[in-house]
Order: sequence, then structure tokens, then C-alpha cells
Amino acid sequence: MLKLSVADDANVQPLASLNDHRMSHPPPSPIYTLRGAGGPLNSLHFRCYGEDAPLLFSGSGKGCIHIWNLNTRRTNKVIEGHSGSSIIWVCTKRSKDTLISQGRDMQICLWDLGEGRCDLLDSVWTGSVGFCQCSMLETSPISSLLAFAGQQTEEPDSCPGPLLLAGYEEGSLLLWDVTQQSILSQVKAHPDPVMCLTFDPTRLRGISGSSEKNLSSWKLDEKNNLQLQGGVTLANPGVSQLCIREDGKLLASAGWDSRVRVFGWKKLRPLAVLQYHTDMVLSVAFSDHQDPRQRLMAAGSKDQRISLWSLYNES
Amino acid sequence: MESVSDSDSVRLEVSACLRCLSSSDSSRNITVLQTLLSYLDEASHGAAQRAQFSRSHYSRTLRVLITTIEADWVHRLTARQREELWDALFLRGPPEQALLVLLEAIGELSPSTSLDHVVTITEKFLQDGRLTNLLWSYCVGSAQSDSPQLRETLLGRLSALPDIMANKLHHNISPLFLPQQYYPLLASAMLTALQRTCQALRDNINCSLAFVSQTLGKLCLQGHGLVLAAMAPRLSACTRSDMVWQRVCWKLFESIPQRSMECVLTALVPESLGRIVGNLVLRNKKAEFVITHKLLLLQYKYETGVLRTVLGYLAADRDRRPLLIQVLRCICQAWANPSAVKHTPMEQQLYVSKALLLSVSLLKDQELQDLRSELLQCLLGGMQSHLDSSVLRIRCVGMVVGECLSSRMDNADTKLKFEYEQDEETRELLSLMTPSGWCEPEPVDGKAHKNPLNQVSVLQHNIILTFIHKSSDDELTPYDMTEDQEVSQTSPPRYLRDCLESLMSSEDAMRVELSLKAADPLVRRNAFAAREISVQMSKVLLHMEDKYNIQGFLILRHAAMVALAVTDCIPVTQYLTTEFYSLNYSLRQRLDMLEVLVAAAQELSLPTTDKKNSSIISALDVAELPPFQGHDPVHWRQVVEKRIQSKTRRISKGASQPATAKATPNRYAPVAGYFFFPLLKNYDKPEVTFDLLGSDHLVLGRLIHSLGLFMHLAVNAPVVSPIMGSALLDFVWTVRYHTDQMVRRGVLFAVCSVFLSMPSQNLLLDLGDMLFETRTWLTDVAEGDPDADCRSLAVQSLVLLDKSLKKQLKDPQSPSLES
Repeated sequence: MLKLSVADDANVQPLASLNDHRMSHPPPSPIYTLRGAGGPLNSLHFRCYGEDAPLLFSGSGKGCIHIWNLNTRRTNKVIEGHSGSSIIWVCTKRSKDTLISQGRDMQICLWDLGEGRCDLLDSVWTGSVGFCQCSMLETSPISSLLAFAGQQTEEPDSCPGPLLLAGYEEGSLLLWDVTQQSILSQVKAHPDPVMCLTFDPTRLRGISGSSEKNLSSWKLDEKNNLQLQGGVTLANPGVSQLCIREDGKLLASAGWDSRVRVFGWKKLRPLAVLQYHTDMVLSVAFSDHQDPRQRLMAAGSKDQRISLWSLYNES
Repeated sequence: MESVSDSDSVRLEVSACLRCLSSSDSSRNITVLQTLLSYLDEASHGAAQRAQFSRSHYSRTLRVLITTIEADWVHRLTARQREELWDALFLRGPPEQALLVLLEAIGELSPSTSLDHVVTITEKFLQDGRLTNLLWSYCVGSAQSDSPQLRETLLGRLSALPDIMANKLHHNISPLFLPQQYYPLLASAMLTALQRTCQALRDNINCSLAFVSQTLGKLCLQGHGLVLAAMAPRLSACTRSDMVWQRVCWKLFESIPQRSMECVLTALVPESLGRIVGNLVLRNKKAEFVITHKLLLLQYKYETGVLRTVLGYLAADRDRRPLLIQVLRCICQAWANPSAVKHTPMEQQLYVSKALLLSVSLLKDQELQDLRSELLQCLLGGMQSHLDSSVLRIRCVGMVVGECLSSRMDNADTKLKFEYEQDEETRELLSLMTPSGWCEPEPVDGKAHKNPLNQVSVLQHNIILTFIHKSSDDELTPYDMTEDQEVSQTSPPRYLRDCLESLMSSEDAMRVELSLKAADPLVRRNAFAAREISVQMSKVLLHMEDKYNIQGFLILRHAAMVALAVTDCIPVTQYLTTEFYSLNYSLRQRLDMLEVLVAAAQELSLPTTDKKNSSIISALDVAELPPFQGHDPVHWRQVVEKRIQSKTRRISKGASQPATAKATPNRYAPVAGYFFFPLLKNYDKPEVTFDLLGSDHLVLGRLIHSLGLFMHLAVNAPVVSPIMGSALLDFVWTVRYHTDQMVRRGVLFAVCSVFLSMPSQNLLLDLGDMLFETRTWLTDVAEGDPDADCRSLAVQSLVLLDKSLKKQLKDPQSPSLES
């Protein structure tokens, strides 16, 4: 019995979809949309905890960082800091008022947003002309580690033993031990460039997308080895971003076919195909609301709109 | 010698009694009645005397009693005396005589207490089961007076008793005399008589079933077949195991009179025929005719179940099987007959097809081999005539039957295979090939199949179980994901010329598909651009072939062509109507042209409401309106409205303004002629590739139908509709008796639409003498056309015509007479 259920995973799939079809509802619509970013939306980031109004940061292809107030649904502020170059990544630090943005002008900037300011605190020149997004690890309120793609390998100075996952253009995933500067594991996940990846540290599972139709799921075992676990095939090729909700139930993918797909993260079961945008979806993010019922999902597209969705918030 | 004296003594005594009764002297009457009654008792008189009394004096006695019914002494009898003496005389004697006298009395008496009395006795007669006695007395031949006339009268009375009673008593009738109670009573009486017959036969007593059969026949003949339907289950049950019952039953049906045989069989047919009737078909010519010919080939009102029963009956017995073969031959001929396909109603053809399939499915393999060549002949001829028909249903039936026959005949791979849409009818036909009911499935095969099937289902069960188990921890219900299709890479054309270009010359399937999809909205959005290339684009679309198997190709092409015809009406219709009669088009293309014209006319005739089309209208207005109507009609209306607004004081300004239907110009009226008249030309000039009056009747039917539609849509164009109407009537006159029912339907539709949309004053003025010929033709069709649609359409047109004429004749001051 057990054997059947595991080995015949692929066979079970059509049956499952048949079964589901009987009781399915039409896919939901966005609860609202944000317009006026003036460019394709490469990166989205929520900051909804605390007492302040929930905020959404978006980085556009025209070099603007918009800060949206989700109560008024208007822009609080627009930061133009990367001299018109496309912003590919935005992130806030846990200490409230700092924002990090990465632009294609090869700069990573740190902004102070406290008390209505928007001052440039610091910037790093990366020298990387690629599209690789940074990744930040906050180990404690005072120390955090930022990884970005650069020209040469540099040794970070603090923090023992963090691991870094990196996806490469030739389609493989590498697990780095950052302090040792050594490759712990390597796996060829895609035949095409890895476009995005995301990792769930509680389950030690991750998933990566590429410019082809397959999402590839993999697992990190106790010996820090990456193991491919199969994946999902999409109707249309190309994924720009993948995002797992904080509670580990949902996975969202931003598709080049202008659709956002939602999966159950445990079994990678397809749950919804959200069709609203008219152009490639470039970014997708789940909000970090403390109240689970308020949780949102945002999708930013090349059609210059951000759509906000409320999905599976009941429990 | 003794018997003579006996009979004399009986006669003398009875005469004395009757005299006494007739005289008004009442004192002795009670004893007299007792004397008479004693003749009906076994104890007091000898058998010969009793027989003498029943044979010759009983009826007379009863009649005398009826004549004295109003006498004083009768009224003086106590209720008990009356019941025991007076009534008992009616209820104890030979039942057939009593019944006749009672019914005679009921017929003669006028409403009074005496009538009530007689009716009560009759009621008692029925309640006491005297009917059973009556039937049984005929079975054992103890009924004395048996002349054919008497028997006929008795049968008539028996079968029509509810009618006789109802005629006399009207509303005061006892429920026992209602058909709902009387006939079941009669049926159970017959069953009891049969039951007794069986018993008697076991005891070696001879019986005759002739009277029961005659009763049954008479009942069925008079339309009380339900009696038999009520008896049949019992008969069927009794004959299951009992040989005597079976023989009795067979005898019963064999001795049914010839003229009522058909009614009896048709009443019996829905029940199980074989056991009850036996080999009746072999012995009775009439029964054979009814079963093998009338039920199958002449009538077609029965359900499929009846067909199953009849054919199953023929197939069930070895002796009857030759009849099945013979029947099959006849059905084959009927099915394949091209004239039948043309001239018999659709329902009958369906019925014959069902019979054919059923009888073929009943054949054994050996018989099939013998009949193979004949069946093949039938199949080939029949397929051709069915596929030639212009009625979709007939073609469909032909295809299904052809498939079934060929698959039954050849187990190899030379089967016919057609593409048709599955609907209820075809599914029913297909299901007839799988035997059910009387044909038991071969048990060996069944078992062999059973095991693996079970395993499969178990396996599936497992999979489902595991699936449910797996997903149960996810608890998130998925949304509908059927929309998640692959998206195409190329973008649709944005300019009409690009669209045309890619339709004309592109080899890229995706581009052609997108262009075709974009054509309709592009044309409607860019009216001016469309006008420049409308004819060219129509030409391209008309000649376009579905090279890339585009989904919904025909619909898309149609929509695009309609858009062109609507946007740039006159040139496109001119182009299409001239091309309709020119060389080198396929029938499909010609039909397409008609469809496009019709759809465009329909769209033009609709009032435009949405804003999308407003640009098109205004453009059309400019093009079509004569120049002297220079000022814009909208303009003055706006001015007036503004003035009204300024003068009106509104107390509440909200959603109180009612939405008024705005009058819009009829876009079809000015161009109706362009659609209509060019199509009337040239129809009788046969081209090499197109012979409208010959073999291409499919197009002819559609053409006439389209013309009718153009006519119908012109209802709001009073200027052209009379001219169109008379032209159309002229046009269809030549083809009104066409052999193809599609053409006839089209003609009738056209006539209907003429009467519907022509102003009534013009009907008389313009059509005049043609109307009367049309009327006679329509009545002719309404009565005699084999096609149901044609008949109803003809009736419809007659009604419309009459209504229109009446209106005209009643209303003297119609505008046309003034002008």
C-alpha cells in the first residue's frame, strides 16, 4: 500500500485532478491592485508586523522603490536611488527602519527610513552585471549576513558556519559552506539557467525554477547533501520567482505566462492558477502579518501592476 | 310421453301463475311467486321440469314481473318478501336471460322508483358474481337458448353495459357500473371461468371457450383493451408452469373471431406474448399478418418495448423462427427502399430502423451467414438512400444502422465507421444491438470476464484511497484549474491590413489562427479601413481552407465575414450574391455565403443599443441617407430635450429617470433589396458545377429558407416588403411540390414569412388571385404531407393568412386603400 502511494506518484496525479474537478470553485480574483509604479515590478517585499501601517516595498524596472501603504493603498514614498537602473531586489532589515535595495547599476544601497527620512546610509559596489538577487541572513538584531553575486570570492569575517544555496546559469545548485569556502554539495537541477530558488529551513526542502516548464524540488539531508525529489510540470515555461508562505503551507510561483500558480508546499499539489496580469509576472511575495487571517500575497508584473490576493487564510 | 305431459303441466302452471300476477288480485300473489321460485330450486321439481322452465318460460316470467312492477301488490310486499321472492327470481335463474331482461327493462323504464328497483337488482346481479356464472354456463354449454342473434345481443350488452347504464342514469350512476370497476369485474369473471375450465378439463369434462373468446374479442374491438392488459399478468403467471392453463390460453386466443384478432393482439403485445399466445401466428393467418406485417411495417406508434416483444416472440420458438427470417427480409426491403426514405414520416423510418436492428441482433450466426448477401444488398442500397437525404436525422439514423449492421456481419476489420454526434436517439439505436431480456448471455464468457474486471476496480479503489489519504493532511481545496492552458507566443495583428495579409499569404499556423480570431473585432473597430478592403477580404475568407486545423475555424470565419457584410453592406452583399450563382464553388461555400448573408441581415435588423456600434451606424447613416436630409436627427432631439429639462423642475434628482427605449434607425430596411433580389436571378440556369433545380436540392432548400428569412426581417420595411413578398411567392411556386422535404419546409417557411411580414392591405391588392391557389395548395399540404414539420408549417401559414385577410376585410379604412 505504502509502496504504491510513493512510487506511483505520477500515476496518481491525473486521478487526483479528476477528483478535484468535481468540487472545484472558479479561481479567485485579486482583492485589490496597486497601479502607478510606472515600470515592471521586479521585486516585492512586505513589512506588516508591528503597530505601523502595513507596508509593501516594490522595486521597479525604472529604478524606483515605491513604498505602498496597504491601508490607504497609496504610495507613501518613492525612492529613486539607483540612477534609473532597474531595481532587482528590495529587503528590509528586522530593525525597523532600514531598507536594502539592489540595482542593476551594480550597487547595493542601505536606506534609513526612520521618521519620514529616506537617506542613503551606505552602498556597496558589487561589480556583478547579472540578475542574481542578494540573500540576507539575519542571525541576531545586530549582525546579519548579506550574500551577493560578485566578481571574486571574498571571505566574510564573522558568523560560524552558515550555509548558502546558489543557483547557477548552467542549471546546477551549489551548497556552500560560507566560512570554509567550500562546496558541500552540488546537483544539476535544470537543463536551463536557474531563475529562482527558495528554501524552507524548517523542512530542509527547497524548490527552484528555470526558464523551462519544470519546477525542481530538492531536499537537504543530514550530511548536507542535496537530493533531487522530483517536481512539478507547468503548462507554460518560465518562472521568475518562487515564494513559500511563512507557515509552510503554500508555494507561489510567478510565471512568465502572466499567471501566478499556487501549490500546497507539502506535496506540491497544484491548488490555484491565478490569472489577472496581462504580462509576465516577475515577482511574488507573501506578507508577514501576525494575524494569519490578514495574510496577503502580492504579485508584481511587467504590466506595471501589483495584484494582492487573499488565499487560504481561513485556518 | 311423460316428458310431453311434464312440459304441458309446467306450461299450464306457469301460465296460470302469470295470469294471476297480471290481474290485480293480490291475495294469492305471494304464493304464486313462491311457486315460480320453486322451479329454480333443485329440491322441489325434477331436472326435466326445471330445464323446461328455464328454457321456455323464464324470460317470459321475468318480463311479466317487470310489467307488474308498478302494481299495487308489489308495493305492498314487505322489503323482506320483495328481496326473497321478487328479486330472487332474477338472481337465481339462468343469468344470460336475467341480464337481457334487466337491461331491456332499464332501457324502457323512465326514471322512477321502479327503475331504481331494477337498477338495484342489476347491481346485485353483478355483485353476486352472476357474470361468472353466465360465462361459465356458456363454457360447459348449459346455456339453453343459443341462437347466433341472441349471442350477438348478449355480447353487445355485456361489453357495453357501462354505456347503457350511463345513458340511462346520467349522473346518478352507481360506481359499480363505471368502466373503471365494471371491466375489471368482467376480467376477473373471465379469469374465474378459465380457472373453472382448467379444473373441468382435469376432470375430463369438455368445455368450450368460444363465448369467452368472443367476449374478449368484442371488448378489445370496442377499445377496452385494458381488460386484457389486466388479465395478462395473471395469465402469464398461470401459464408459467401449468400445461393445462397453457392449452386453455392458446385455445382462448385461437378461437377469437378474425375481425377482433388485431385488437386483441395489439392489446396483448406489451405483455409477454410467447407463453400466452403460443404458436398462434402459425395457425391463424390474421394473427400472422398482424404480428409480422402490421405491427412492424404499417404502424409505428408503438414503443421500442413492443418491438422487442414482437420480435422476441418470433425468435423464441424454433417453429416461429422462419417467420423471423421472413420478417427480416421485409424490414430490410422497407428500410432500403429509397422511395420510403423520401416519402414516409421520420418517425416511421426510425421505427423500421429499430425493428431492423432488433431482428438482426436476434439472428444466430448460422442464419446470419445465410442471409449475408441479402443483408449486404440492403445495407448498400439503404445507406445510399439514407445518406442522400437532406435531413440530418435520417442521415444519422442511416449511419448508425449501417455501422451496427456491418459490425454484426463482419467480425473482421472491414467495419463501417462514421462520424456522427451521439444523442439520445443514436444511443437508443446503438443499445438495441446489445441483446437484453429474452436472450440470456452466454454464461462462460461472462465468468471469464468477471475476474479481471474485479481486480481492476479493486486497484482503482486502492489508488483513490491512497490519494485521499495523502491529501487529507493538506486540507486545502484546490480551485478550478481548467483555464491553465498553454499560451501562444505570437501576438495578434493590430491592423486590418496586416490581418488580411497574413490570412492571404502566411504559412505560419499560429499567425493565421490569430489573424482569423482578430478579424471580427478588427473589422468592427475600424469601419473605414474595413470599407476599403471589404470585398477583397470577403473573397479571401470565402476561399480560405482550414489548412491548420484551427479550433472553431468555421465559426471564426463566419463571424469575420458577417462583420464585413455588416460594416460595408452593399458591396459585400453584391459580391456574395453574384458569387452565389457563379462557377466553381463547392456546395459548402455556397451554403457559407447564404449563412453569412442571413446572419448579416439579422444583425442589421436588430436595433443597435450598445455604444460600440454607434460609430458604425452614424457612418452608415451618412452613406445611406440621401443628402437633402442634411440636419442631424439627433441634434434636434437633443435641443428639445434640453429645453424640456430646463423647464422641468425636479424635486428629487436621483435614479428616478426611467430608461426609455430609444428609437434607432432600421439599418436593414434600406438595404433589404440588396440581400434579396440578386438571389432570385439565375436560379434556373444550371451550371456545370451547380444545378439548383436538379441534384443540389440541399442548397435550394437553404436558399429558399434564407429568402424567407430576408422577407421576415423586412417586416419593418413596408416599402419593399410587398414587392419582395410577391416576388418570393412567384419564386417558390415552381418548387412547391419538391420531393425533398427540406425544400418543402423551406418553401413553407418562406410562405409563412410572407404572410407574417407583408402588410395585410397589400396581401389582397398585390397577391390577389394567387392567394386562392396558395390556399388550396396549403390545405393540401396540411392534410397530406408525410413530413410532420411541413404539415404544421402549412397549418401555421393558413392561420396567418386567414388572420391577415380577416383583419383586412374587417378594417375598411386601411392606409393603402386611401393612397
